[in-house]
This record gives sequence, structure tokens and C-alpha cells, in this order.
Amino acid sequence: MNVHEVLEKFILKEFVVDSDTNITADTDLLMQGIIDSMGIIKLVNFMEEEFGIKVGDIDMVPENFQNINSLAEFIKSRQ
Amino acid sequence: MDFALDQTQIAFKNMIIKFAQKELNANMQERDRKAEFNWNGWKKISQQSIFGLPVSEEYGGVGADIITTILTMEGLGYGCEDNGLIFAINSHMWSCIIPIMEFASEEQKKKYLPKLCKGELIGGHAMTEPDSGSDAFSIRTTAVKKDGKYILNGEKTFITNAPIADLLIVFAVTDKNSGFAGISGFIVEKGTPGLTISKDMEKMGLKTGPLGYLVFDNCEVPEENLLGREGAGAAIFNSEMEWERSCLFACHVGVMERLMEQSIHYAKHREQFGKPIAKYQSVSHKIADMKVKIELSKLILYKIGWLKMQGKKGNIETAIAKLFVSEAFVQTAMDAIQIHGANGYMAEYPFERMLRDSIASTIYSGSSQIQKNIIASLLGL
Repeated sequence: MNVHEVLEKFILKEFVVDSDTNITADTDLLMQGIIDSMGIIKLVNFMEEEFGIKVGDIDMVPENFQNINSLAEFIKSRQ
Repeated sequence: MDFALDQTQIAFKNMIIKFAQKELNANMQERDRKAEFNWNGWKKISQQSIFGLPVSEEYGGVGADIITTILTMEGLGYGCEDNGLIFAINSHMWSCIIPIMEFASEEQKKKYLPKLCKGELIGGHAMTEPDSGSDAFSIRTTAVKKDGKYILNGEKTFITNAPIADLLIVFAVTDKNSGFAGISGFIVEKGTPGLTISKDMEKMGLKTGPLGYLVFDNCEVPEENLLGREGAGAAIFNSEMEWERSCLFACHVGVMERLMEQSIHYAKHREQFGKPIAKYQSVSHKIADMKVKIELSKLILYKIGWLKMQGKKGNIETAIAKLFVSEAFVQTAMDAIQIHGANGYMAEYPFERMLRDSIASTIYSGSSQIQKNIIASLLGL
């Protein structure tokens, strides 16, 4: 699986309650309330473990976590 | 994991214990009764390089590692009987200095950090509102950008240091559609037009620690006072909470250690039915429980320090520490009163004040129930 697919699988498993919900690489995870303040901590822990990157507090801003595309871009910039 | 403490760290802790015992405890009962902030103590501790412990020397700090910082705060709690002053110091450090250190621009760091480290400026932060407490990110205070300024409107309550603060990190909504990601942090100075600060609020304990209410009525904050980027508010808040939940609670471990030693001394010298009360298991077991709580508190706090020094996150450990230490603090204060009997209940002794001061620790920085929510959530529940 590529980075996008890994992220999508994790987000669907951890944060999406409704099994019929689909998310795309552009789905706004923040505005749609898919990731909340606790969710972002879980997502960061996952990203650090899965992709071997460090995510600083200063990195936890909307532009890095808006959607799967921005998450993948951020991960790429840190690898 | 290696928690071995070196001589410099131990010396730093011992230095602050001696300083606090000598300089911070005068007229404690009277100040508590009158709910007076210890301005003299603030000035004296400002000269001890404590405020700038985690800040790099470039900005007027000490550049100490986090284990040294935790140990020093432990020493402060052990030596200083003024929990209100301790609370004010911690708010200044973790909810104002730390966010500026971690998120501010170079200009902001140079402008504020040296004076904050010297205690010439007093800081705090403003998150809680009349309708948002545990649900911290449901705040309603707004910040609208207009003509090079942010216009803030809203109310904040239970703000530590507000009546004495020179600047506050204020959290406000800049994008109402993005939930927690639409919150931003601002450095707001005392005297900013449109900001009203209340007098000290009366409370059960921590009476010597000022607490206030803020009203923002078209409060004009210069654009350059945005802290970090727009939308960084949640990251700023989470970051400062991690520091507070370890370092402030290290002070409480110091208090618990003092309470245990006082209880041991009393139990060995107080005789009933022909022998010291320490010889009764109902008393000695309470003291044994105190020791267990203190040791486990230290271990979890040092583990957080170790994790941070390794560049690792300690989300679940921080929640565990906050929950465990605060509950242990209240129980230790309760047990200290019980061991001291009627004396423990009297205002002449410090134990009833320690109990009053301890109770808020299970509420501020996220209540015990919220810590359990965090732990459960991080366990995937």
C-alpha cells in the first residue's frame, strides 16, 4: 500500500463510525469533524510509528492535517 | 529507561529547597487568610533562574533539560508552603513561557522571553470560558482579522494570574467551520483597548494564587501578536498541557513528600495508649500508602522526562501522571490530617490548607475524568 492508502485505511478504521462513509484524498478531515482534537494525537502517534517520522507540536496545524493529500505531502517532506 | 540523577540535577533541587524554605514561607497563614499574592516571594524567586529553566540561554533562560526542570519543581513544592504562589509560577511558566518558546516568531521571543524569564513580566493563558471547560475546544471567543488587527470578542473565566498578568496567551476562534483546528492563539498585553480584567475570584484553596475573569469587547490585538499560525491554537494548548501535567504536578509530589515526612515525625512522637501512634498499623499503613504514591508519582514523571529527552511523545503517560498525582495529592493531604487528628484539622497547622489547595489539582489541567477519557481513547476505546 502507498502512503495515501495506509492513511485512508487508518482513518476509516479509527475515526469513521458509519461504515458507509467514504473518504477521498481531498475530503476535509477537520471541517467534516472526522478528526477531532483527540483524534489528531492518535493520528500523529500512528504517523510517527508507521512512517518513522517526527511530528513536532508546531507541525500540528490545519494545513498539514486538512486531508489525506496534505498528510501525505507532510509525511513525504519528513522522510 | 535510565532515571539516574546526576549531581548537578540533585544540587539544583537542593538549592531550590533551601531557598524556598528560607524565602517563600513567611506569614503563610495570614496571607492565605487574606488571599494575598506573595509579591515579595515572586521578586525573590525571579532572581533564582527558575522561570527560564527550559528556555535556551539565547532568550535569557537556563537551557536545563526536562528532568532537571521536573526535579527543580519537585524541590519547589517540597520547600514552598505557598501553593498559590506555586500555582502562579507554574501558570507563568507552562502556559505562557513555553508556548512563546515553542511557537512564537523570533521577534516575539526576543521581545517577551527575557523579561518573562526574569519575572519582570507575569504571564498566563486564557482558554476556559463560561460555557467551555472540559470540552476545551468548544470556545466561543472570536478573533476576526481586520485592517492589520484581530478584533477579539468574548469572555474567559477561571484564568490563573489574570489579575496580576502583564500578558496572556488568549485562545479564540478564527475559523468557526473547522472546529478545534479553527482556534488560534494570541499574545494579549495588559492594557490592550477592549480588554477588561476582573479582580481576584474567591475560592476554596490556592487562595494566594490570583484567578480572574476576562472580557474582550472589540479588543484590538495587533496582527503581529498572533502566536504561531492561524489554526495552531489546539497544538499550542496541547503542547503547554503536556508541560503543565508533568512539571506542575512535580511540585505536588514535593508537597506530598513534605506531608509524609511531617506525618512520620508526628506519628513517632505522638503517644496514645502508651506508645507512639506510628506503632499502630492503622497509622503506619497510611504513611506506607503515602510513600507508595510518592514513589510511583516520581517514576511516571521521570518517565515523561526521559521520553521527552529521547524526542518521543508521552501522551498516555502524561494523562496517567496527571490523573495519578492529583488523586494521590488529595489522598495524601487527607491522610496527613487524619494522622494529625484534631491538630490536623486546625488552621494553626498547614494540613487543612494543603487539603483545600490539593482538591483543585483533580480539576485544573483537565479533570480526572478527562484524563481517563484520554487514556481510554489512546487505548483505542
